Amino acid sequence: MLRLGPTTLETTPGRAGTPLGAVVEQYRGYVGQKLDQLAADVANLRAGLPGNDRTSAQRRWLAAQFTWQQVGAAYGSFGALGTAIGGLANGLPQGVADPAFTGLHRIEYGLYSGEKLPDLRGHVDRLAADVDTLRGGLAKLAIVPTDMPIRCHEILEDALRDHLSGQDDYGSGMAYALTSADVLGTRVVLEELKPLIPTPVLGHSPYDQSKAALDRLDAALDATKVDGRWPDYQGLTKHQRQPVNGAIGAALEALYRIPSALGKVQ
Amino acid sequence: MSVNRRNFLRGAAGTLAAAGALGVSRPALAEGKGGGGSPDPATVSVPFLGANQAGVYRPDFLQRSAGFAAFRLLVEDRAGLQALLQTLTSHIQSLTEGSLVDSGPPRESEIGGLDSGVLGAQVPPDALTVTVGLGAGVFTDRYGLAAARPRGLTTMPVFPSDSPEPDWTGGDLVLQVCSNASDSVHHALRDLTRATRGMMQLEWKILGFHSGPRPTGAPRNLFGYKDGIVNPAEDEGLVWIDKNSGQPDWAVGGSFLVIRLIRMLVEFWDRVGIPEQNAIIGRDRDSGAPLDGTGETDLPDYPADPDGAVIPLDAHIRLANPRTAETDRSRLLRRGYNYENAGMSRNGNSETGLIFCSYQQNIQDQFEATQLRLAGEPMTDYIQPFGGGYFVVPPGVAEFGGYLGEGMFA
Repeated sequence: MLRLGPTTLETTPGRAGTPLGAVVEQYRGYVGQKLDQLAADVANLRAGLPGNDRTSAQRRWLAAQFTWQQVGAAYGSFGALGTAIGGLANGLPQGVADPAFTGLHRIEYGLYSGEKLPDLRGHVDRLAADVDTLRGGLAKLAIVPTDMPIRCHEILEDALRDHLSGQDDYGSGMAYALTSADVLGTRVVLEELKPLIPTPVLGHSPYDQSKAALDRLDAALDATKVDGRWPDYQGLTKHQRQPVNGAIGAALEALYRIPSALGKVQ
Repeated sequence: MSVNRRNFLRGAAGTLAAAGALGVSRPALAEGKGGGGSPDPATVSVPFLGANQAGVYRPDFLQRSAGFAAFRLLVEDRAGLQALLQTLTSHIQSLTEGSLVDSGPPRESEIGGLDSGVLGAQVPPDALTVTVGLGAGVFTDRYGLAAARPRGLTTMPVFPSDSPEPDWTGGDLVLQVCSNASDSVHHALRDLTRATRGMMQLEWKILGFHSGPRPTGAPRNLFGYKDGIVNPAEDEGLVWIDKNSGQPDWAVGGSFLVIRLIRMLVEFWDRVGIPEQNAIIGRDRDSGAPLDGTGETDLPDYPADPDGAVIPLDAHIRLANPRTAETDRSRLLRRGYNYENAGMSRNGNSETGLIFCSYQQNIQDQFEATQLRLAGEPMTDYIQPFGGGYFVVPPGVAEFGGYLGEGMFA
């Protein structure tokens, strides 16, 4: 265990020499870029707090949350730091009032429940520190290579479970924005794995099917926008939700085939 | 959308079954009422292929569990709808034949699970049937089917005393899944929704059950009364659309399905005296006999009771079926199930009642005529119809390789 500020990161040697090991290193580079962006987003959010412009602060929070979602594939690998940055209040004895509820969703909760903006400063500082810790530890971070194929569908499994159920909505109603960021993250992993996905089975390529299904999901998401803006998810009717529910279901039924298609690749 | 590997495998299994490779006995089933022998329902496979869909006329005792699921179509064009119906057909055929879907090389485990495993490695047929119905929303220009719309297929109107809830009403496509066992119903619905996720999404779903004979005869509903005692026999010509029905050619061999979700206020009902309950229904609660008879299959003699002294004029059975020449052709086939949902009403009452399900040749002449006769009946105080819909049930698939609704596209 390597001590890295407020939380810890496990370190194990990578296997850059294997095909999936190479994918991990490629992916690590992508995460690094996204974490740099996240650090900038969080700094931007912090800079806006004294101005007391709630709408602006909400917009800046969404930018940061959107960037974090795109990292998606590494959730499990970030351990306690990942929870500190993007965790939910689920399972905490005091729920949203629990001191252990920190990070992006805690800030979302404050921004949408009327907490005074200056009072959120502590949460934003903590978030900035956690993001910096993660950036500093990324090079040594263990990412299990065989987790990469599974992430192809697990990112959107999380979107289905947390965003589209409404369970991780702490007031913003931005389920579709976050899901759309998850699609971006999924596409990155899928493209990185593409060279390793074997010849089509019975003429149907799991890659092609997944890509087409992600395109349809993006189209379904885009169709929900009103005047170019994401709708408040909590206000949508069943009929308004069905197209995205169907499209993400179809995408997952395609993506879940990637891990077994890659079953023998190490 | 193209046929995927999974369908290919299922199709192959279907061919095997059709060739008689399936090691399951298929006793000839008595159709309609009762039936002499009682084969072990788990081993009964209801043949899928035929002129009519197999789930319409079925002996109650073989199918004590049901699931009704209505969907909104997400497919956007004719080819998409055809692919959906083909996928449903191949899956339904495999499921009802009980299956070898999970054997046969190559094992699907190479690319992920094929079957949920809820019924074990060998899926028993369990007398499963899956009946497909199509709502008015299918017959639009979007699918090039506006001209194929059957006469009388509308959205379900609101009848007097209805309390419609949009979340429980309508749907472009409905599946009626019936089986010997509730796990079979779950298994089938899980498989069918998985195979069609991007093509349709649930509008509403409700699970139902039949009781066995208590102690004999027709099953009892949740008011405690025997229900479904009188159903028209298949040869009475009241259920199947025929070439004289004035319907499009493709619909011949099909039927119309009316589903009504009816909450029953059983707490209130239990506070009503039995003589009053009997008068509301028109039958004796214990025996099921009409109030002028002694056995449940006795026929009420309304001409001998013109003023309703024995069976009140507004008793449910008297209004539903007055047994006159004019009303004879309004009889319909009932395939209802009781339901009990999770949770409770806001007032603390249970969420329970009847999934009324009827098949007929003509919705207006049969279901609606009956429903209008029942308007204002005393039972109205104890029930709340809150959902359901009207559907046309396409004819069966006569030969392997065909699919449900294929004739609509001719």
